[in-house]
Amino acid sequence: MLIKPTAEDFRVVGFNLGRISTLVGAAGLVPLLWAVVLREWAPAFSFVLMIGVFALMGELGGMINVAHRRLDWSHGMVVVALAWLLVPAFASIPLALSGHYASVLDAGFDAMSGLSTTGLALVQDLDHLASSLNFWRHLLHFIGGQGIIIAALSIFAGGGVVTLYLGEARDERILPSVRSTARFIWAAALMHLAVGIIVLTLVAWQVLGFGFMRSLFHGLMVFFAAFDTGGFAAQSTNLGYYHSTIFEFVAAVLMVAGTMSFGVHYALWKRRYRSVMRNLETRTMLVTFGLTLTITIVGLAATGAFTESLGLARYGFFQLLSAHTGTGFATVSVQELAGWSGLAFAGMAIAMALGGMGSSTAGGVKSLRVGITVRSVVTQIKQVLVPEGALVSRSYHQNGRVRLTPELAQAAMTVSLLYVALYLAGIGMGLVYGYGLGEAAFESISAGANVGLSVGITDPTMPLLLKLTYMGQMWLGRLEFVAVFALFGFLYSTWRGK
Amino acid sequence: MRRFAALVLLLSLVGVPAASGQESVDVADLLEAPIDYIGEVSVVGELIGDYGFRSDDSMWTQLNDDSYAFDPVLDDGALTGGNIGVAVRIPAELAASLDPPGGYRVRGPVVEATGVWKYHDPDRGGETYIDVVGLTVVESGRGLTEHPTWLVGAFGFVLIAYAIFMRLRSGPRRG
Repeated sequence: MLIKPTAEDFRVVGFNLGRISTLVGAAGLVPLLWAVVLREWAPAFSFVLMIGVFALMGELGGMINVAHRRLDWSHGMVVVALAWLLVPAFASIPLALSGHYASVLDAGFDAMSGLSTTGLALVQDLDHLASSLNFWRHLLHFIGGQGIIIAALSIFAGGGVVTLYLGEARDERILPSVRSTARFIWAAALMHLAVGIIVLTLVAWQVLGFGFMRSLFHGLMVFFAAFDTGGFAAQSTNLGYYHSTIFEFVAAVLMVAGTMSFGVHYALWKRRYRSVMRNLETRTMLVTFGLTLTITIVGLAATGAFTESLGLARYGFFQLLSAHTGTGFATVSVQELAGWSGLAFAGMAIAMALGGMGSSTAGGVKSLRVGITVRSVVTQIKQVLVPEGALVSRSYHQNGRVRLTPELAQAAMTVSLLYVALYLAGIGMGLVYGYGLGEAAFESISAGANVGLSVGITDPTMPLLLKLTYMGQMWLGRLEFVAVFALFGFLYSTWRGK
Repeated sequence: MRRFAALVLLLSLVGVPAASGQESVDVADLLEAPIDYIGEVSVVGELIGDYGFRSDDSMWTQLNDDSYAFDPVLDDGALTGGNIGVAVRIPAELAASLDPPGGYRVRGPVVEATGVWKYHDPDRGGETYIDVVGLTVVESGRGLTEHPTWLVGAFGFVLIAYAIFMRLRSGPRRG
């Protein structure tokens, strides 16, 4: 029997959404300050409005009297799923008021894309956009990538926070408590922030010859987009704007750091290099990267666009890394990417679909699930081949020896299949609107795996239903289904429960 | 758009001088069929973003020839989609006296750039750009005026004030 949620359940959800609203509103002070310093008054006023809306929501949530603030599993999941809808809806206010979007929905699309670290964009005339608005778009990558919830965990006290953590698709507890884990994640992010921005700024200033303040601006933007595997860029030609191997190299290092799970970051911090290399997740990622890179390079060579191997390797490697890490940076034009037919196209699409590591900012199926699925199938085959009664090892290394139980294998395969279904749903919608199978598949995978590379479908003129489909894919893909399913269950119980 | 149409008309009447063999093209066409245009080309558009003066006496920037190059959004230009731009590498001496590049509140100089279209240039690690040899300023850069809506800010301040008032009334909270 379905149990109807009580008024207390709604109060707990509302109270916690209020807390998260307060936090995002506070984050809005940063671009507001930026706008005031640069005297960008029109964006400044729109940031004031956005902060006001978040502050009011926060206070309304805070007024709710809750008997106990301890979140149970379903509360946590519902809060996360709703937060990931409400935050982009209100974070899009400054974008919608900028005049650079054809509709409120388009602004919401970009906010969802930013927060989910996807990077698909519907902004128009980006090259004339106010820098404070550009900053806000990129800051959304950072807020979403590091996790709104993670931030809330680090700051607010309260029981049952583990469900919030899990709801945001982070299942790795690096330190004994979730709160200390959350703080480690923020510490690691801030350390990368400092180093990343310094290096990028210096390269832009000394090598690319930009002015110092503009170098700092580009350094900040590229850091947010690279480390949070987002893919937005300050200029319309994306990372191709910089025309620099060194700059691309620094961005690539940050992309790899962003796609690594925070468990790996912690192991590297503790100098457990051998353990990291023995991890099933690391090995799977290296193998899939090697295979898809080979496919892409061979396919790219066949197109004849590159007449020498250095350019082929540079562009093939960077684009494939961008796809596999879930970043979505592009160093070639949308038109050229759309022309990468055959193997190059397939290599990129497979890499996007597989995605990065778990408990990171990357999307997609994730390497650990791919590794567990493959290991499970191999174990089954071995079991059939060995003599009856013989034992086949059913374990793998992931920060220590882990037993490969049927439940674990089933869970990995289920989520993998859900991702396939998510990709297929977007492909189907693309086909309905008359796009070719290849481009529909590429764009759908890019949205569902939170990558952000585009072959041109994502455009302000694309059908409304397709925009909503891609937004839904970003939301589902980022939260890895569970929190969204819990929200649907909560709503259904409200309607049909007793 | 009116300014864009007028500029196109003016250019067609005056007849922009182009060296022999240089083909006047749109950036969109260059990107759509890059191999077809390898060689000398001529493009007209706004210089936008940054001027990156490098150690090899060249300056890199971006040239956009979309409608915003003539009518930016801030100047009440119509929304016509994403930007359409291409990288240009300009000899430093040609770039020395250019107006600041386009951006927020700035419409950069509109230039006619003539040069060699390099598609995945083997000499520069596979980069794609126009290696400019000649530059003519068609229209100087100019400032753009933003139109802040005071009402938006005022409403925001009212909401913030009300939220603070609610916080003060409810007193300190747990958690």
